[in-house]
Amino acid sequence: MSGITTTPRWTRVLGYTVITAVAALYVSPIAFMVVGSLKPNAAVLAEAGSWRAFFPSEVSLNNYTAVFERVEFLRFLLNSIIITGSIVAAGLVVNSMAAYAFARLRWPGRTVLFTAVLALMILPFEAIAVPLFYQITLLGWRDTYVAQILPFIANPLSIYLFYAFFIGIPRELEEAARVDGASTARSFAQIIVPNCKPVFATVAIVSFLFYWGFYLWPLMVTVGPEVRPLPVAIAQFQTLPPLRWGDIMAFGVMMVAPVLALFLIFQRAFIQGVAATGLKG
Amino acid sequence: MNARPPRGPMGLRQREAWAGWLFAAPALLGLALFMAVPFVLAVGLSFTNLRLGSPLPTRFVGVENYARLLEDDAFRRALLNNAIFALAVVPLQTALALALALMLNLDLRGRAVYRALFFMPVVFPMALIAVVWQLIYAEGDSGLLNGFLGAISFGYIEPQAWLRDPRLALPAIIVLSIWQGVGFQMVVLLAGLQAIPRMLYESAALDGASAWQRLRFVTLPQLRNPLVFTALITTILAFRVFDQVQIMTRGGPNRATTTVMYEAIQAAYSRQQVGYAAAMTVVFFVCVLIIALVQRRLVCEEREVA
Amino acid sequence: MRYSRILIAAALLSTNSLMACGGREAPTAEPGVTLLTVWAHSGQESERQALTRMVEQFNATNDDIRVDITFLADGGYNSQVQSAALANALPDLLEFDGPFVYNYAWQGHLLPLDDLLPDELRERLIPSIIEQGTYAGGLYSVGMYDSGLGLYGRRSMLDEAGVRIPAGPEDAWSADEFEAALAALAAITPHGRALDLKLNYTGEWYCYAFSPAIQSAGGDLIDREDYQSADGVLNSPEAVAVMTRFQSWLNEHEYVDPNTDDTAFTGGRVALSWVGHWEYPRYLEAHGDDLVVMPLPDFGNGPRTGQGSWNWGITRRCEDPAAAMRFLEFLLEDAQVLAMTEGNAAVPATTTAAAQSPLYAEGSPLNLFVTQLTEGYGVPRPATPAYGVITSVFEQAFDDIRNGADVQTVLDRAVAAIDRDIADNEGYPEPQ
Repeated sequence: MSGITTTPRWTRVLGYTVITAVAALYVSPIAFMVVGSLKPNAAVLAEAGSWRAFFPSEVSLNNYTAVFERVEFLRFLLNSIIITGSIVAAGLVVNSMAAYAFARLRWPGRTVLFTAVLALMILPFEAIAVPLFYQITLLGWRDTYVAQILPFIANPLSIYLFYAFFIGIPRELEEAARVDGASTARSFAQIIVPNCKPVFATVAIVSFLFYWGFYLWPLMVTVGPEVRPLPVAIAQFQTLPPLRWGDIMAFGVMMVAPVLALFLIFQRAFIQGVAATGLKG
Repeated sequence: MNARPPRGPMGLRQREAWAGWLFAAPALLGLALFMAVPFVLAVGLSFTNLRLGSPLPTRFVGVENYARLLEDDAFRRALLNNAIFALAVVPLQTALALALALMLNLDLRGRAVYRALFFMPVVFPMALIAVVWQLIYAEGDSGLLNGFLGAISFGYIEPQAWLRDPRLALPAIIVLSIWQGVGFQMVVLLAGLQAIPRMLYESAALDGASAWQRLRFVTLPQLRNPLVFTALITTILAFRVFDQVQIMTRGGPNRATTTVMYEAIQAAYSRQQVGYAAAMTVVFFVCVLIIALVQRRLVCEEREVA
Repeated sequence: MRYSRILIAAALLSTNSLMACGGREAPTAEPGVTLLTVWAHSGQESERQALTRMVEQFNATNDDIRVDITFLADGGYNSQVQSAALANALPDLLEFDGPFVYNYAWQGHLLPLDDLLPDELRERLIPSIIEQGTYAGGLYSVGMYDSGLGLYGRRSMLDEAGVRIPAGPEDAWSADEFEAALAALAAITPHGRALDLKLNYTGEWYCYAFSPAIQSAGGDLIDREDYQSADGVLNSPEAVAVMTRFQSWLNEHEYVDPNTDDTAFTGGRVALSWVGHWEYPRYLEAHGDDLVVMPLPDFGNGPRTGQGSWNWGITRRCEDPAAAMRFLEFLLEDAQVLAMTEGNAAVPATTTAAAQSPLYAEGSPLNLFVTQLTEGYGVPRPATPAYGVITSVFEQAFDDIRNGADVQTVLDRAVAAIDRDIADNEGYPEPQ
């Protein structure tokens, strides 16, 4: 039989056409946003119902400059970077260390606590959002970076992902280091970390994606623009009079551009990282 | 053995125990303070009538909040909406993701480009998507979707008020959520597809299996793990829906799109009724727990049977 | 060896950055200078800019006080203030929208102003401002301006459709006349819409703009005898009748433009716009002499309109109330009031400023707003701590009505929610 591993020509042509059409349709909202950011404000909604939504008659960067004039976009961007960066960086350290302790070290209470961590994995943030809000308010941490970073550093899912990976590393490597007199910290830092770069990348990427777009918590916890991150900023920008859709689209483009750029450059790592979470689960 | 002071293996084990605690301590502290404590607090607060900022004293009210929840139209509708959301999104998103993954699995040139295009929405924050899609769903002639449907149907399909029609609002939000989530599932399934050994297909073909049968009996069983995992994640996420509702519809029209989290945040943040909101989140967690356990049970059973 | 160090360094760095970035740094003042923290709403660009200029001016001319101002976003303003109150993080001076002052006063966050306010200033304030700021016998807030709410119209389109233009509140349209006008206007506009109700707005707008219609019909938001229940007023037959009319305009006749991009009136898609003073500058720029300002229709019990707007209070956290009052006095000087109202076209809060205002002088189009306030056509929103709940319930109810739900059911549900909140708070007993 021929053709089981190579697909016949008509299937390929059909496949190409279908997938290209689907992809174009799929990406159209993104295109709409980008084109809208270049159009004069009044035209964005007025022309949204016609083909002009994708092929503007006049383009300019006015909306982008308007965004900077109307709100402190750079501050919001900086806030998002600081908050997401801190959560991810601190999370990599804290969660991997804990996973190492569960995976490799023997200590009293290990099994019980590990089960507890797994149980916390299904506890969605929303279930604790309200009491956490109350706690944060009592501590006086409202409208700070701390309130947006600290509660999210320790993460059960990250611990689990690290754990699943560490288990798979052969013990011989560490045992060899132990014989040489290495401490736990050293064998962790010098053996595990260099050999587990993929899982560190995975955890970093998945965390980053989630917390960059985090909306609910910053909405509850921030007040003024000082520590407000991008998702809350764009939602509030939309309610800031005068209502100008072109400016809002420009805000959106600038908001997603850094992440999109990171994604396009590190595409491989992103996709592999995301896929790895699914396969391990 | 000898009565020597502890050294060697004993000392080593103690050091290992210390190391274990030390390494795990920061994470455990974080989880305890910011997950376990709030959860216990939620349960506790749900039995009080705490209203933030009120000069009136907080009282213990037993199960009164829960009783009120049972009668609360908005909350019941929210639970229903979340259930509808999950029941619609999980199969639809999975089917679409699987279809896309299968298509991308064919040896097409430029596969990486397509993969990137379909994955792009995943990278977008939901808050941004909600803002942009408001224009797509705008009513009348100046909505992108209305314009598109009108064009391809030659005017047969009339412009709809997607976000303001009680029958269309929830489906509209579902479509938008699927749009954002498919990429994630597709990538996982694609990786799973590529991990299937070709040998299985070849032997199936030798046994005379058609393409459809190969799909059913080789591909799908091999994809069980990723499928179940993504289905579970999607279900749990379906109960967490908040951003889109808050930005696009505020739970309307007529509560057609309200969700459990939206109601809880409204109660806690806008009406200062923290006790009542805590009760909502406890009910929410119990629902998620039940679903997770049920799905786990199903998966384990299947594994045993297989 | 290096790796361990890097590990430890990373951990320290992250914790360090957390501690250092404590968020908004508390502004510090030099000794001898009183620092006043102030929160204001973002609102219209003109208001923000005017207020920023005033703060700069005050700081420049007062060496012993420094004002530090933060502009909060409008959406969720009330919730943010409430959360700040809990954390003892309220500023010294705070702005809030009209009737929200009662809840803040009830919760004990505000200082009574009676002793701090100079008598001559009190005499200059228009009565509605004093009325708005009074709760349980004390004055808790003062505003720089009051609001005006009416129907803006296009004279040319009204003439073309043969619609009478009312001269003042005394000969406002009746409800039937208004409806006939809508029908006639819809016939001549490009898309068959006649009216803009600012459906793109969220929040406080709905209660402010449309409860006067209910009051004009004989209903109300709450029984003002004792502020304990809304039953029988919000869901009275008169209220149901009025909201049913609105529903027919929205759905059956489709007279109302959805206004998604806020250009229905300026773009000529509608002939009438039901909105407040803040749109006057933009509308004037768009239509010039063709713009006419008219009273809201009379729904049976005489024409009614809204009143009340953003006002200022001093919080209990303020260590130097006298300094805070100096800032408020500065804001209420004629020059400042005029500068603000010139930008947002609101009604000046002092009689002296109003007399000098070109916008509000006799014969100018906005004089209607002054008339409405001084001759009793304006109805203040209910002076109860329950107001926050009343307004969000009303907004939800209006949305439900707009989406076609049965009006009686919706209003009954609204009444139940309001009554429940009042009961939950034990009737909002006045502080002793």
